[in-house]
Order: sequence, then structure tokens, then C-alpha cells
Amino acid sequence: MSKIPSRVLCLLFLFQIFSFAQTDNDYISSKTPFELIPKANAVVRYEKQVVEVSAYNRMHVTTKRVVTVFNKYGERHHDAFEHYNNNIKIKDLEVRIFDASGQEIKKVKSRDFNDESAVSGGTLYSDFRVKYLDYTPVNYPYTIEFYSEVEQRSTAFVPEWNPIDSYYLSVQHSEYELINNSDVEIKAKSQNFENFNVETNGKHHVVAKNLKAIKPEEYSPNISEMTPRLKLALTQFDMEGVEGVNNTWEDFGKWMYNNLLMGTDELPQTAINDVKALTEGVEDKLERAKLVYKYMQDKTRYISVQVGIGGWKPMLANEVDRLGYADCKGLTNYTKALLEAVDVPSYYTVVYGDTDLKNIDKDFSVTEGNHVILCLPNEEENIFLECTSQTNPFGFTAGFTDDRDVLLITPEGGKIVHTKYYSEEESKQLTDALINLNENGGFTAEVKIETTGYQYGLHEGLENQNVRDQKMYYKNYWDNINSLDIGEMILENDKENIVYTEKIAVNATSYASKTGNRLILQPNMFNKISAVPPRYENRQSDFKITRGFTDIDEFIIKIPENMKVEAMNDNESIETKFGSYSYNIEPLEGNKLKYSRKYIMKKGNYEKDDYMKFREFNKKIVKADNAKIVLISI
Amino acid sequence: MCLLFSTTIINAQDYKFGKVSEVELAETVHPLDSSANAAILYKEETISFTYTKEDGFMQEREVHERIKIYNKEGYDWATKKIYLYKSKAGANEKLRGLKGYTYNIKEGKVDEDKLKKDGIFEEQFNEYLELTTLTMPNINDGSVIEYTYKIVSPFLQIDDLYFQALIPTNKLVMSIATPQYYQYDKQMNIQAFYYPKIKEGRDNRTFTSTNTNRGEGFTATGTSFSQSKSEYFDNTIKIDEENIPAVRAEAFAGNIDNYLSKMSLELSAILTQIGTVEKALSSNWEKVSKTIYDYDSFGGELSRHNFFKKDLPSVLGGASEPFEKTAALFNYVKSKVKWNGNNGYTAQKGIKNAYKEGVGNVGDINLLLIAMLKSQGIEANPVLVSTKNNGIPLFPTRNGFNYVVCLVQDGENAVLLDATEPYCAPNILPVRALNWQGRIVKENGTSGWIPLRPSNISNTSTMLNVTLNDDASAAGKVMQGLTSHTALNYRQRYTSMSSDDHRKAIEKNKGAIEISDLAMENSKQIMEPLKLSYNYELPDAVDVIGDNIYLTPLLFMADKESPFKLDKRNYPIDFVTPFNDKYLVNIKLPENYVVDSMPQSEIIEFNNGIATYSFIGKQNGSFLQFNITLELNNSLIDPADYEIFKDFYEKIIQKQAEQVVLKKS
Repeated sequence: MSKIPSRVLCLLFLFQIFSFAQTDNDYISSKTPFELIPKANAVVRYEKQVVEVSAYNRMHVTTKRVVTVFNKYGERHHDAFEHYNNNIKIKDLEVRIFDASGQEIKKVKSRDFNDESAVSGGTLYSDFRVKYLDYTPVNYPYTIEFYSEVEQRSTAFVPEWNPIDSYYLSVQHSEYELINNSDVEIKAKSQNFENFNVETNGKHHVVAKNLKAIKPEEYSPNISEMTPRLKLALTQFDMEGVEGVNNTWEDFGKWMYNNLLMGTDELPQTAINDVKALTEGVEDKLERAKLVYKYMQDKTRYISVQVGIGGWKPMLANEVDRLGYADCKGLTNYTKALLEAVDVPSYYTVVYGDTDLKNIDKDFSVTEGNHVILCLPNEEENIFLECTSQTNPFGFTAGFTDDRDVLLITPEGGKIVHTKYYSEEESKQLTDALINLNENGGFTAEVKIETTGYQYGLHEGLENQNVRDQKMYYKNYWDNINSLDIGEMILENDKENIVYTEKIAVNATSYASKTGNRLILQPNMFNKISAVPPRYENRQSDFKITRGFTDIDEFIIKIPENMKVEAMNDNESIETKFGSYSYNIEPLEGNKLKYSRKYIMKKGNYEKDDYMKFREFNKKIVKADNAKIVLISI
Repeated sequence: MCLLFSTTIINAQDYKFGKVSEVELAETVHPLDSSANAAILYKEETISFTYTKEDGFMQEREVHERIKIYNKEGYDWATKKIYLYKSKAGANEKLRGLKGYTYNIKEGKVDEDKLKKDGIFEEQFNEYLELTTLTMPNINDGSVIEYTYKIVSPFLQIDDLYFQALIPTNKLVMSIATPQYYQYDKQMNIQAFYYPKIKEGRDNRTFTSTNTNRGEGFTATGTSFSQSKSEYFDNTIKIDEENIPAVRAEAFAGNIDNYLSKMSLELSAILTQIGTVEKALSSNWEKVSKTIYDYDSFGGELSRHNFFKKDLPSVLGGASEPFEKTAALFNYVKSKVKWNGNNGYTAQKGIKNAYKEGVGNVGDINLLLIAMLKSQGIEANPVLVSTKNNGIPLFPTRNGFNYVVCLVQDGENAVLLDATEPYCAPNILPVRALNWQGRIVKENGTSGWIPLRPSNISNTSTMLNVTLNDDASAAGKVMQGLTSHTALNYRQRYTSMSSDDHRKAIEKNKGAIEISDLAMENSKQIMEPLKLSYNYELPDAVDVIGDNIYLTPLLFMADKESPFKLDKRNYPIDFVTPFNDKYLVNIKLPENYVVDSMPQSEIIEFNNGIATYSFIGKQNGSFLQFNITLELNNSLIDPADYEIFKDFYEKIIQKQAEQVVLKKS
């Protein structure tokens, strides 16, 4: 009776072989290698994550992480938390804290971790929960050891290895191993191993040592694109109880279609009748799609509720129709069903929604992405619909899902396509103004701003704010004008052509500064740039301009009758590979001046050595935008 | 007559649950506040206590709200969160009778959608709270939603009652009935600009308790149990208001919740049947102070000396004067115990545990400091404080306070200490604690008010030396000295920053400036002014136009815009402390240039010297000297004076933009 069955012994033994070889020095703050301290708020002294896959639906993850925290900004790097739900069980969770000399001062067991619903901003409800450590340090530096064991039945998300996932974090030793005891083939992809001396100790076993902290620099790519990363995926996996295949995007997409989408698109007859009646007699498929998109926008709202298959299966179209709300998946799937009812084909599309351009990796299929949109196949150029917005113009994606690789889920399988790119010509802002300057330096003016493309997205929505906030917006937008007063505002949102037009009457009691019998006037009143990109003694990272744009300004300034131009700065024209800038001032009849300005910035990726030139270009623009005209009494 | 009659009908609203009218649904914009994205058409809240034999008095809070949603910006109002308390002992609040409907006009008719289970989400929010979130179905522009629910609570504590919201409220009906045995003190938020009318009264009540005693009640005629009727009365508060305006955020006013009109009810005493006090909880400031002092976790902590006794001699060294000793112990507590971010005037862990573990809440830390000072015979006492986010304590309540600091007195001299912030010098309290006045409580039970709002001026003095070069650039040196709160803010922000990031922070928004040799003195010597110096080079510091040079005296140090952009304000501007911001600028003229014109010296005043801006310039050989000072003697600017103040500030910006014109000699 007391004999332990040999199979159990075998298992016990299995877990023991992950010996976490490390030294006591790792717990002593002062023994942190000297070269890792500059720029680091925290240093990962030792990290080892072992993922053991025993079947397509069984995964055991053991994590040990020893981090020395140097200041309060380093707190967040100890990552002492684990998520859990019905299919993810936390088996063990423990933290030990050591003072600077390596003396253990505190031990926190699993039950003493804070336990909360893992609802992130904007999500109403989620069945994920999180256990996290809430610790107030007594002194810096200190060292924290985090140990966890997690048993997962869901294998759709294999932990990836990304030892430097944030700025100001150094890594002394980081190790990752995936042990495959199943007959499922596991595929992997590595990135940026070359520049960081990553050792490979066998299949899916990597070690990195002495990685120095990185400081953020403006215009640099996302840190995860610059640092080592190992992504893994099971070719046969389980997502919350549903078995899946993933050899390529094609079969992964097919699995998604069959298992997550199929059967979710049934609509009540009333909704079908509605959209049929709405599109009756409209031949063109795009026109039909526009009407249906508007119908969906008017009927629904965005509410995020994450339950069920890892938050990956859309809510039934039926339900969405009844409740009038859903998250991105539910709303996209609902729109897709409505379009189907009027014979317009469309595809459910997985994407990384972000202001940054983040691609779905076309070379490596894995459960990724954070958002869903709808693709309307179209001969000239595919059209993408954002279904979570009640106000977006049809096909407008700039700023969040534009210009990136996305995954289409079609009945034939997954397909990677690129979303719309907004060129610098398309993303335009035209500012025209008629200005009446008075002899005290004050003025009245009528300003008109017209925006398209990406720049449309920066202005639209203003009409939804109240008058007080709209006035505040303009006072901040033109913060170069002291004592600005905003008069009538007319805002037109032409969603059909995607053009935003603002007409604003403004005045100020003091703008041009008065000195003796002179007025000193800055003619660039309504589109002035004053910020120069920061200076780096020694820039480390390459840089990029994510989106191009064009600004064209034309201001006609009527100067007081009793004054004339005494002197002014010379006109300026700058051409660079980043873009171009020019302005000139010409006199018009009737004591008027015309100020014209054109500024084009192009999308581009550049090497770090070009940064100084880029900064120089910006400095010249700031200087030119500061140009002055000296007026003198006649 | 006929017309009049029909208007009355339209206005006759039916507030019964479910009686949403087509008029309400058809409305597209709020009649009094066109900027409202949503409005509370009706809100009814009823609080009552019901006696049952099993549970005693149970609190019931019934809520009924009807909300109009005008547009998409108002859709958030279709989601509601309800928090329920539970105590560690196992008593918990329960949510009952939740129902809700969304109403829309569909094809000319009122269409209703019921809130179902799939729109209600329950979760364990944390140890003490359960959260129920509900989101209403089928929301469109113009929808009206309505929900009602009841919270049944075993607790006597009543949650705050909100009279106002971030959207307008058309009608508000509240009724609070508390049994005569419990005395509640009302506290209104005095920072609000709107108050409802409150009617107080009494309602007679009876409760029937069934007597199961078989002795005298059991008769043969069929009545099995005798019933005893008890009579008592409820104290009632009734509110019936219309057209309550929305509250909107304003910059420099702090937390907007501080300005919502609301009422707190605090249980101040438990009374006997005949109205005498059985147990006093609070009622006047003396009593409140005494009650707090008598808490074991407050006054009780102050006499615990043994655990730190042996450590103090080495800390005190040779210090003998009371203030010397105070400084030593103040520094010791700051270095020994870190603040865990929690407020509270009582010790959370107990000062002994906090001392041992090196971490504690405000109560732990400052009571520990007081206990140490007392152990050395120094006259140190706690001062109860309500933080800025907690509002101002106007009525005597224990819950009005949420913070404690230490006051040390030695004859005429007194000094306030807060050991939770490492960079706080004596008499400099962190901004969160600077709320009007605090209540000092002494061992003998006496108490009194101590002003907290700082009267000492925060000084910033800046010396700017400028040499102008031929190529329109300038170079020179900046030296700054900061005191009091200005120094505290600077230390909190920059002391732990790397020198390179500090440099970048200074260079930010100053065009193409490059600074070097950045030095900070006294960053840890909090008793001394913080000193900062650096060299700079500024390309394009001046404009060369034609033959002339144009420049503004403050160069990159000028304020470019006024932060006061609103046309009107409802709430005061809070600058926290009075301040004096002084610049001394020395500009060396380039060779071969002379002054053509320069800005006139000028003094601008706001409200008889509450604020003064003085701009004095003069030429001194080949140097131009400017002495520029902004002085503010009162840290609060009344909203009634806002427009004048805004104008004053714009004049300052305008003055700073005035140019010096140099011409070739």
C-alpha cells in the first residue's frame, strides 16, 4: 500500500532535472556586473523559463527569475505575476526578497499574492484573473526571486523568449528551454540573435548573457524589433478545449474559419430584411457595403467582454443584433454576416491595431494580433472596415490599422495581405487665412483648415466636443498666439470624400510685439512648429518616420494703413531626403503680404547616422517658422 | 388657454418605472445644456432601515435611474458599476431586484429591450468588494435607459449620496430615513457650487416583534404567539430638486470629484430609547479628537517605546537641543521606514511592525516619529489632516480625516513634520497634506486647529548671463536657487534622474539649445536651498533682420503661453503655495551695436498686490540688465477674480515677448 507507483516517481524525477544552476552571488545587489548597471533601473540576474510540452493540450511552464531592482522605476521589471483561468492553473507561486547584501528579508507565498480580475482598460469583463505581488520596498537596491509553475491545457500561446522586453533593463543571464515530450512538431523562429551573442544549446534551448540596458530614443523602432526574440508554436494545439492545426498561415486560417467563425454568422430575419430593403436597387457592391456599414454603425456600440475561447471566438451575430453591442470580433463578424445577406463577400481579418505599424509575421504562423477588422476584396485595392467605431468613414483606417501585414481568414485558409498605405500626398493639411493686423499688434482673422488622409484622423471628432472644449482645443492648437479669442467655428465632416473642414474666426489683442514705433510680426501664425527632436550625444538606434504628410499654408496679411515693411527675414527653401520645406513672402496690392509655406515629410527608415541630419532639418524648420517681419510707422 | 393646457401635459412627466414617454425619446439635445452627451432624466434614491428579529436593523438602499443618451459620446452612461462591500467577518451587502430596460423609437413606436443575464457581469473585485457591472442592450443616439436595484446591507455605515454628476440631472428625489437610535451627522461638500434644499423631519414607525415565549402568550383561543409592538421614529431627510447642472473638469482645480455636490452621513452616536447617548462616536471636534486619540491604533501607539529604545542613543549622538534631536529622529524615521502609499491616521501595521519591517502607512510612520520624539521628552503631538483628495473637514467627523502629521513645539517655536516623503524638510508638508487646517490632539484630550496652507513663500531666483555672438547665437550661464515647495517638487522629480535625462528635460521645448556642465547642489541637503547651474549655447537666439538685431530679454526662459485659456471658471486656481519667481538677466552687447529701443520698465498688479509682475530694464555700459519678478502672495485665486487674473497673466506673456532692438553703431 505504501509503495509509490513508479510512474509518479518518474514524473517527480522529470521536474527535478530542471536544476536552476546559478550562484548565490545573484542575490547580492553589489555583485551585479559593473557594465550592466549604467542606464539600468533593474537587472535580471538570472532567468530561466522551461516549457515542457507533454501533449498537444498539455504544457507545463516553470519560471524562475531573479531581478535586482535599483530604483522605483525598476519595480515593474520584476514581473511577479501570473494569469490564470479555467484552463491555466497556477501550481506554485512564490517570491523571496533579499536585501542589498543578499540576506533574505521576506517570503511571499501564493495565497499572499493579490488576486484580481485581469480586466485591462476598456474591457468590461474578462474571465481571466491575475495573481500579482504588491510589495513596497524598504530600500534600494534589493533583489527579488520569483518562482512559478503553471499547468496549461491551452497551448495556443507558448510563452516566447524576449529577454529585453523593456527599456532600462539589463540582463545578466536569461535562459529559455522548450522540452517537447509529445509527438507534436514544434516550430520556432528567432530574431536579432546575431547582435546579442545568443547561444543556442540545442533545439529550442537558448541562453543570452550580459545584455546591456537600452535607453529609449525618439523615432526609434519598437524595442521588440531590435532585441533578441524566440517565437514558438505547436503545429497541433489546443485553444480552450478546441483542437487546432498550425503548419502555415493557410491551415491555421482554415482552422480559425472552421472552428471560430463557422456557425456564428446566423442573423434574425428582421436584420436580413432590413439590409435587403436598404440596398434594394443598388447594383454596385461597394455602394451596398457602404449602406450596410452605416446601418451597423447606427445600430451598435463597442463593449469589450472577453469570455470563451481565449477571447478569440466572436459573439454570435444573432446576439449582437439583439444586444446592439459587442467587441471588435463580434462587431466585425456581425458586419460580415450583414454583408453576406446582401451578397457582398468579406473576410474577417486579424491585425495588430496600434498607432505604430506592427505586422502579423508573414513568415511564421502563430496566434497573434490584438484586433479584428473586416476586409472587402476589391479589384483596385482591398478596403478595410473598422467595425468598432460608430463614426468612422467607410474604409478609413489611418492611424490604427493602416499600412501593415494582416491575416485574412477565408474559407480556403489564412492569407497575409497589406492594408492601405496613406502616402504623403494623400495625408494633406491645407490652411488658408485672411488676417487683418492692427497697429497695436492685435488682429482679427478667418482661418480655414482642410485635412485628408492620415491628417483627417487627427482632426475629425472635434465636432463631438462641446463648445468650451472646442475653443480650448484651438487655443492649445495655436498656443503661439497670446490672448487668443475664438469666435465662430464651423466644422464640416465630409465622410463621403473623407475631408474635414474647419472654419474659425479668431482675434487677439496682442500678437505682433510693439517696440517703439515698430511692430515685429511672425507671419507663420497658424501652423508653427517649435519643437526640435531631442539631441543624443551618441545615438544608438536607427530611426523611422512612420507616416508621411504634406502641409500647405497660405496666409494673407493686411497690415495697418500707417505702417510699412522695414525689413524681413529672407525666404527659405530646404530639400532633404526626409522631406522638403519652403516659405516665401510676397507683397500684394492694398498693403497686403502673402505668406506661403509648404512642408512635406516622407515615410522612411533611416540609419542612426542620419539622425543628426534629420535633427538639422527640423532645426531649420523651427528657425524658418520663427521668421519675422519688421513693420515701421510711416 | 388651450395652448397653456397642452404645454402642461407635455411637461407632466411620469417617473414610474417603465413609463418612459415618447417626448423623452424624441429629445435630441438637452434643453438647458446643449453640450451634454447624456442626462439623468430622473434619479430616485431611498435609504431606509428595516427591523427584523433575526438580523436587527438592515439598511436598504433603493436606486432608480432614468438616463437619456443624446449621442455616441454619451454611450458610456449605458454601463453602470455597482460595488458591494463585504467585511472580513463574513457580513456582506446583497444586490436585489436588478432590472433594466433600454427604450428606443422604432417606426414611430416605443420599443423596449430588456437587460438580460448576458448584460450583467459579476466578479470579485478585491478582498472587500464585489463588483456588478451592467451594460444596457441596443443603445442608439436618443435611447433612454432605465434601471432599478436595491442594496441590502447589514452595515450601519451609509455610502455618500451624490446630488450631482458629470452630466445634467433633470430631477432628483432622495429620501433617507434612519431609526432614532442612530444619530448621523450630515456633511455637505462645501467645495461644490450647487446645493440642494434639504427637508428634515420625523416619521413614526412601529416594528412588530413576535414573542415566542410560551409563558404568558400561549392561550387556548388560537393565538399561538403574542406580538409586541414597539413604536419608534425615523429621522428623515428629503430632497426634491430639478435641473441640477453638470460638473466639468477645469485645469489647476485638482480632482473634479472634489467639486461634485454630495453629502456624507456619519454615524455619530448610538442612542437609547429615550434619546440619551448610549455610545458617542463623534459629535463635536473635541469629542472627535478624543475618540480618535483613544483608539489603540492611534493614541495607544504613542506610548510604545521599548522596541526602539536601544537604537536611539546612536541615532541621537551628541544632540542635546530639542530641535537638534528632532532633526536627528526625523531623518532616522525617514531612512528607516518607507511609505507604502496608503493614507490613514491610524497605524495600519502598528508602529512596532512598521519599524521592524521598514514599511508602513502614513499613520505608522508619523505616529512612530511622534512616539520617538515623546520618548526623548520633546513636546510632539499628532495633527489630524484631511488630504486634498478627501475634501475639507467642516463637520466634526472621524471619517473627515484620513492623514496625520507631527507638530513639535518648543516654547514659541513650532514645526510641522511629515516623515513619509524623503525630500520634505521640516515645515514643508507634501502637497497632498496641504488642505486648509489640521486638528492637533494632545495626550490630555485637548485639541485645536493648526493652519496648514503654507504661508512661507517658495522662492525661485534665476541668474541668466548672456553673451551675444555675431552669428545670431548666444552663450552663457544659468544659476538657479530654489526653496520650500519649489525645491521639494524639483527634488522629487529630478534627484533620482540620471544627469543625461536631467539635461534632456531642461533642453526640452527650448529649441536648439545645448546645455553642458549641469550641476545640482544640495539635492539631499533638504534644509538648504536647491542650487542648479549650467552653461548653454543657443543658436538663433536673436533675429538679425536687415541691419538690426531683435531679441527678447529672457531668451529661452520666457513663458511662451498663458496656461489660463478658459474664458470663465467655476473653481478657484490653486497654486498650492505663495511664490516669488525672480530673474536677473545680464546681456553683454555685441561689439559695434548700440541699443535702438528696449521694452519699457513696468509694474503690473493684480488685485491690490495679491500678485505683482515687475519688469525693470536698464543699460549699463556694454551690458543690458533686466530685473524681472513675479510675486504671488495668496496661493488661491477666487473664480470671481479669474477674468482679471487671466488678463494679468496674458499681459505678462506679452511683456516677455517685447523685443530689444539693437542697431549698428
